[in-house]
Amino acid sequence: MMKSLMILAAAALAVAWASPSGAADVKIGYSIAKTGLFAPAAPSQINAYNLWAEQVNARGGLNIGGKEKRKIKLVQYDDQSSPGNAVRIYEKLITQDKVDLLLSPWGTPHHFAIASVVERHKFPMIGSTASSVQLRSMKPGNIWFTTAAIPDKLAAAMVGLLKNAGVKTVAILTNQLPFGQENKKFLMPALKAADIKVVVDSDYPPNIKDMTAILAKVKAARPDAILALAYPGDSILYMNKARELGLKAKFQYVMVGPAIGFWRGMFKNAASGIVTLGHWSPHGENARAQAFYAAYLEKFKEEPDYLDSVEAWVSTEILEQAVAKAGLDKDKLRKVISTSNFDTIIGRVQFDGVQNAVTPTGFLQIQDGNIHIVWPKSRATAKWQAKPGWK
Amino acid sequence: MDILLSGQLLIAALIIGSIYGLVALGLNLIYGTMRLLNIAYGDLVMIGGYVGYWLFTLAAISPIIAMLVAGVLTGLLGAALYFGLFRRQLSGRQSIERIEANSLLIFFGISIIIQNVTALAFSATPRTYNALDSLVQIGEISITQSRMAALLVCLGLSIFIVFFLRLSPLGLSIRALIQNRTASQIVGIDVNRVQLFAFVTGFALAGLAGALIGVTEQISPFMGFPFTIVAFVVIILGGLGNLAGGLLAGMLLGIIETYGVALTSANLRSILIYGVFILVLVLRPEGLLQKRRMT
Repeated sequence: MMKSLMILAAAALAVAWASPSGAADVKIGYSIAKTGLFAPAAPSQINAYNLWAEQVNARGGLNIGGKEKRKIKLVQYDDQSSPGNAVRIYEKLITQDKVDLLLSPWGTPHHFAIASVVERHKFPMIGSTASSVQLRSMKPGNIWFTTAAIPDKLAAAMVGLLKNAGVKTVAILTNQLPFGQENKKFLMPALKAADIKVVVDSDYPPNIKDMTAILAKVKAARPDAILALAYPGDSILYMNKARELGLKAKFQYVMVGPAIGFWRGMFKNAASGIVTLGHWSPHGENARAQAFYAAYLEKFKEEPDYLDSVEAWVSTEILEQAVAKAGLDKDKLRKVISTSNFDTIIGRVQFDGVQNAVTPTGFLQIQDGNIHIVWPKSRATAKWQAKPGWK
Repeated sequence: MDILLSGQLLIAALIIGSIYGLVALGLNLIYGTMRLLNIAYGDLVMIGGYVGYWLFTLAAISPIIAMLVAGVLTGLLGAALYFGLFRRQLSGRQSIERIEANSLLIFFGISIIIQNVTALAFSATPRTYNALDSLVQIGEISITQSRMAALLVCLGLSIFIVFFLRLSPLGLSIRALIQNRTASQIVGIDVNRVQLFAFVTGFALAGLAGALIGVTEQISPFMGFPFTIVAFVVIILGGLGNLAGGLLAGMLLGIIETYGVALTSANLRSILIYGVFILVLVLRPEGLLQKRRMT
């Protein structure tokens, strides 16, 4: 009798454990640069992850294969900006923490570094803030990239936009960091093929402290367009000095920086007319995009980063939709991610190999404090305008 | 050629040079008087940047006033560290080499603590603000008010400190301590008091410079390290402990950086700076203006 009661009690306990109300959280792990060189870039991605987890949990949890809903528990580690640390952390997340799902770290080098880990463990992960033509050389199957901003495609799109703007001469200023150099590598032949003359071509180191000498040469050359293949730190130097020197080029492109909220806050009206990298804007007709923008703004009291927050958010949208179809089984997930269509804030996304095969490469422009897609025309939320001056 | 002769380039060189000079001045004061290698120095610049940012963002306080507040706050931090950590180190009978090595490790720890506490408190998100951003026109040269303020404050303060050290009794005590510690004690200089003053002033100058720098650059918890490196290059160029030499070296570095880039390529910036640095180390290892030290 006693034995039967104990078996009954154990069975009851087991049922209680497996019931939806007592379901364990879905552990979703990632590492990111909370300290070190890349730490200033990571918060916009972390914010997107946190907002997503909060919204999903508020909806009752993550839909697992249409069968149950489980709350999300994010497991986050600091990789101290080191790709080597990221490798160790992702190993730990998979083998020791036994997370159910993975989110991606910040930055191209970190994505490259952990690609071998997810491949070895056959653990599917949607990448986000990474861009390089080298991404395509990765083995498809366990990693995918949401971005449309791959340097060779960017070069072709930039030439299209420049021709549309009537540009015949350009000055190119390039940060020596890899993304800048890779963009330049594809831009130069594309410009030549389009008969656009490069009148100043100057590379500069990431730790540059003053751009007077370079921009004085640009001013003397009077190009129609200035393409500053810059990062956030040096993009500030560019803006300050270009304003001081009163550079009048009608087309001024600052590659990375203007899409971040603080940047536009710093330059206000002077930033008007600056073109930058990106293929997302909340000003179109995509309802998901508008909802994301409003929720982010409300929670963090600042705009999302139009590049990093957006790519991170898109990766969560894809993961959520894939898990709703496939559940947590890795093989099923892999198949669903590789073959399905996903509805995201940048529109429909589908992967071909590792890359986003649908979203067209685009450019944004700051107009009256708002950021609009100005290229390609098919997705534009506003027309490109000549830079109105520095007031 | 026109570019090289332009006033715009000259003023850019002067601004960078004077900022480098002021940043290095504080480091040099601390090293010269106490042989403490403050590699957390750039982090004090960062604190100054944040003080400027928050005062402007929360209370619309001008960076000119904020720099004084930043100087006071980092100065107080300096006083706390001096009494808490360094006074005992300095009062013992340790060799100079030992003090230098110990201070390097201690300041390394302090640097990590300051960076991470700041990152925890304010997050690593870069901050910027828009103050003193009107353009001032001087002839053909146009310059933002913030950079003009940085130039005037850095130059003015540097000149004031050099005169202070040459003319005031406390300044003369500091110079005496830099020249010969034992002799200073023998002639009755209150070494502890002078050390405290130099330590606090060194910290305060970093905070003050940081508030000025923060107006023109993005502020983040990890922005300090490049300033530590620059400050060390400058004081080694000028001669460790030689304050006027440091100011001259700061200016020289600004000129090399600006005109060197104009003459060659921005790619060569680091090669130019460190090339001159190595050349000076080979030809004048005691620094540009260093006199022979009495030991």
